[in-house]
Amino acid sequence: MSSQIPAHAQERLKGLRSSAHSTGVFTSDFSVNEFLLVRKAGFEPIGLCVGTCVYHVGIQYGSWKKNEELQVLSKAMYHARELAMSRMRAEAQAMNADGIVGVKLTIKRLEWDENLLEFIAIGTGVVHGDGHKGFRAHDGGPFTSDLSGQDFWSLLHSGYRPVEMVMGSCVYHVAHRGMFAAMGSAGQNVELENFTSAMYEAREIAIERMQHEASAAKAEGVVGVDIHEGSHGWQTHVIEFFAIGTAVLPLDQEIAPDKIADPIMVLSVND
Amino acid sequence: MGLFDWLKQGSDPEIQAAKEASARRQADIQQSLRSGHVPADIATRLEGARSGQQPWIATLTPAELLVARSHGLKPIAAISATCWLHYGWSWTQGHAQGWHAALQRLRAEARACGANAVVDVKMRSIAVQIENSMDFTLVGTAVKLDGLPPSDEPIVATVPALEFVKLLDADIVPCGIAIGAHYEWMTDWRNNANMTWMGNIESRQLSQLWETVRKQAHLHLRQNAGDQGNGVLAHVNFSQMFEREVEKQPKQYLARHIVVATVVDVPVAYGSRRYRALNDGELHSKPLAQEFKMVVDIHAGRTPLTGTTRHHQAYYSNDEDGAI
Repeated sequence: MSSQIPAHAQERLKGLRSSAHSTGVFTSDFSVNEFLLVRKAGFEPIGLCVGTCVYHVGIQYGSWKKNEELQVLSKAMYHARELAMSRMRAEAQAMNADGIVGVKLTIKRLEWDENLLEFIAIGTGVVHGDGHKGFRAHDGGPFTSDLSGQDFWSLLHSGYRPVEMVMGSCVYHVAHRGMFAAMGSAGQNVELENFTSAMYEAREIAIERMQHEASAAKAEGVVGVDIHEGSHGWQTHVIEFFAIGTAVLPLDQEIAPDKIADPIMVLSVND
Repeated sequence: MGLFDWLKQGSDPEIQAAKEASARRQADIQQSLRSGHVPADIATRLEGARSGQQPWIATLTPAELLVARSHGLKPIAAISATCWLHYGWSWTQGHAQGWHAALQRLRAEARACGANAVVDVKMRSIAVQIENSMDFTLVGTAVKLDGLPPSDEPIVATVPALEFVKLLDADIVPCGIAIGAHYEWMTDWRNNANMTWMGNIESRQLSQLWETVRKQAHLHLRQNAGDQGNGVLAHVNFSQMFEREVEKQPKQYLARHIVVATVVDVPVAYGSRRYRALNDGELHSKPLAQEFKMVVDIHAGRTPLTGTTRHHQAYYSNDEDGAI
């Protein structure tokens, strides 16, 4: 399904503005500032790209006294996000966009079934005004980025371009402590080494997976990384560690580094 | 996964191998943290980032990359540290203890990747409530400054990269995190704090209790900060007071106060006696190097140029239903 775009979506894409269809309408969820800055950076928005995936997450129980990754859940979270993202990217490809800016990736739980999760990826497809193809991702397809329009402009002016939104996920079961262990430490402040090491392992797995994606995209670095923890309605001891960021490469020709202005430092008076 | 697959899982050699690898990894993590070292897998990743074989990873925003360029600040890796502490003895003191341990571990990771500083350090805690315990987690970006050799004692800055260079331009180094924490119990033997029938009057016992607790907390803050720099910007002031009533016993009151601060190192205060002595009695005032201009801020809503408050979120969680 990911490569085949439904007929009504194709109809919508055909109505969008493009070189072949200059009277078409562009759609985007940009704010005014974002819109102006994306244009200032030399890009034109062409259309909103959407990818959705409703996913039934399988069941897996961690063994009560053990720290361990819940591979079934990790794979589910990863696979579902990947599906939503690739569907969004297929839409961008169909409208011949050079990239997608301001991707928002969200997860919703569906009320009637606790194992059903809805993944939504939405962003604005953009094309370079002068038709440069140098902004495409390493596979020739559109780049993806969760950066806002402002950040997109800032990134280009720092001498980098976005390549791909990269992520790493690890759903982890943190072991329960035995009753005797709990009694032993009743009157003192002690580190729960088992829990600490669970955090370390889970976080490391998530970061390594994200870094692996960045390497595969042949990126120089990853900017705007957030590493955070969440629980999507699982038991209390199950946590998802999720690392996400935008893989970047230095600009080669589009904006020569000597054209890049020095930043002006601002001390804000309305802190 | 069907029930059959699930039952079969135990015997699958691939899964078995993954489990063994995980067990080894955890044993190594515990062993390394006890001896103050960076766990092996993390050390390997940091070495890859240090040598440039792996992509760098930064929590910095794109606008901050620009500053990084102008000030020779190069991101190396996203680093983190955790101490999960059970507070059987004292919740309040546990905060100082937990953050302190996490800070030491963060510095060890920064050393392992050859950094000069860690910027954008955020204090975090997971929203998982497990038996009187809490995790103290620090996440930040290790950076190196062009032309400087790796530091033995990398500085830890809770400020984002933009503010970091802003401070550096003003000759100020944000260099660590200081915690001041104190609590005290007060037993109200004469029931003086019960003022039901009185008019306008200060509750002196409770005022006194607060006074003591806050002064002690600030004393600890100063001591803790003094080891790292010579000033603090105290961003988090957290206090609570409780009343405890047990039958046939006098009421008890618990007050606690926790201060969390960014430590800064400022060149000896301008205008201070010490400074004047150093400069032949002449007072040099050194304002910021930058010119002041009115500018239009292009950021809609939250901007990386204002405020540090969201970077001190230790006392709430970053976990929201519906977020990614």
